[in-house]
Amino acid sequence: MNRWRFRRLSSRNLLYLGAALLVLQAAFPFFWMVSTSLKPPAEVFVQPPSFIPHETTWDNFHRLFTATHFLTYFRNSVKVSGLAVLLTMVVSTAGAYSLTRYQYRGREKIAGLILCTYMFAPIMIVIPFFILAKKLGIENTHFVLVLAFTSFCLPFTLWLMRAFFKTIPVQLEEAALVDGAGRIRAVIYVVMPLALPGIIATSIFTFILAWNDYIFTRILITSDELKTLPVGVQDLFHSALIDWGLIMAAGMMITIPALLFFVTVQRYLIRGWGAGAVKG
Amino acid sequence: MQHPGKSKHREQLTGYLTISPALILILALTLYPVAYSIWLSLLEKHSFFPQERFVGLENFFYLWTDSEFWSSLWLGIIYSGWTILFQIVLGVAAALILNETFMGRGLVRAIVLFPYMIPTIVAVILWKWLLNDMYGIVNYWLLALGIVRDPISWLGADHIMLSLIIMSIWQFFPFVLLSILARLQTIPPELYEAAKVDGASAISRFIHITLPQIKGILFVVILLRSIWMFTKFDTVWLMGEGAGAGRFIRTLPVYAYMRTLTYYQAGLGAALAVIMFAILIVTTVIYFRMFQEEADIG
Repeated sequence: MNRWRFRRLSSRNLLYLGAALLVLQAAFPFFWMVSTSLKPPAEVFVQPPSFIPHETTWDNFHRLFTATHFLTYFRNSVKVSGLAVLLTMVVSTAGAYSLTRYQYRGREKIAGLILCTYMFAPIMIVIPFFILAKKLGIENTHFVLVLAFTSFCLPFTLWLMRAFFKTIPVQLEEAALVDGAGRIRAVIYVVMPLALPGIIATSIFTFILAWNDYIFTRILITSDELKTLPVGVQDLFHSALIDWGLIMAAGMMITIPALLFFVTVQRYLIRGWGAGAVKG
Repeated sequence: MQHPGKSKHREQLTGYLTISPALILILALTLYPVAYSIWLSLLEKHSFFPQERFVGLENFFYLWTDSEFWSSLWLGIIYSGWTILFQIVLGVAAALILNETFMGRGLVRAIVLFPYMIPTIVAVILWKWLLNDMYGIVNYWLLALGIVRDPISWLGADHIMLSLIIMSIWQFFPFVLLSILARLQTIPPELYEAAKVDGASAISRFIHITLPQIKGILFVVILLRSIWMFTKFDTVWLMGEGAGAGRFIRTLPVYAYMRTLTYYQAGLGAALAVIMFAILIVTTVIYFRMFQEEADIG
């Protein structure tokens, strides 16, 4: 009995050790980013490094907002990602409804095709995409960037929304239809309220996907005033001597919106995961 | 329900109408560009000027004799091979840990996913700072603990591939973790209860109960991760940018990008993308043949 308890205890400890290591490897780099971004330039290079800044300063953030084009990049990122989410969600909500509620020929083939394109890597699309955009004369615009983001978000959003719609019983709509409501009313009053959590969660994943994009923006955008955050910050990283405090402050400012969104929807993420929820 | 035939017809029509915007966008924005890249791979074309000339398979013949192509293919295989192996092992192990019940499990789960959710540019600058040879905290610890005597040049020619692999595992194993965890949670606990009564050890429980249950999802996850690691561009590019020590992590996607946007040879860039695509299709087919059984379960 005693031995049994001892063994249970030690496997329990092993479990906690494993969990602690998992947290540490994920959280420490972020902690280090926050810590560095709050240090004055001189303290950034002090050896031994201080975990908690001896002297906390917002100077790095101040310089980021006033001395660089960070705010322009931020605005561009919000605009382009927001528009991409809007376009993707309208199209994929309709599409996913169609794939789960209507019977027609080729429906499963279409679903299969979507799953196939979900596996296409950006590098395979972006080169021809760039050449085609140049031919049409629409390169270096936010319009083409919204289209590009839509191209890699759409298969993923459709697939996820399809999974969400599948969990809503068809009988509810049928009951509303029998009660004399038209299809559109049934959708608005019965289906949408139930699908809303799924729609919100999917929107946020799509937003994170678009917000994080580097490759399409790098290739399609050349004007500084049109750049989004990832590309803008990379260029910041390149300019002259690396100002680590400033770069870490920039890193934090890009990460915070993505993480805030992520924390609000992460429970849906685990639920939707089986349906192939995230890409990258 | 007076005209069942007519209403069925209408239903079909509405079905097509509601899926068509999505379908048109996918055709125009994904499938057409991919098809166009096959055409592009047969051209000699400058990336910025409109002139183009049909050269047949010349781009492919050129690449066949191009030592840079072969080395990028090889580097890509090394990179994806090691990262996939460790992502799977660590992902499954971590999923098993997070499938147990303990205090604060929800919080741990959320934190562990952070690295996967942040923009790649942040992950890269973060690691470049951690691994900085002069002021990086990793070198500081290695020196302070007496593990090494001189600072390691993590981003230099000798170690950059190792650094890239470690960073990529860190960034992408949460995907494996979450996929496996989602499946683990659907395994009925009774299966384990019975085995425990029979006195099966933890290892034999894993091999005989857990593994057969997660085989299907493991099949899918390995496939997806292989495709995405083999075609991974942003992490690899941002880490080395093709030049200097970056030459030692110039994988196939990076090489395709450089042909298009450093040397302005769009035809060659497209040819590289087509080769990548062909390799993926062939590997996927072989993979499905080899593991047909698992594919059926998945």
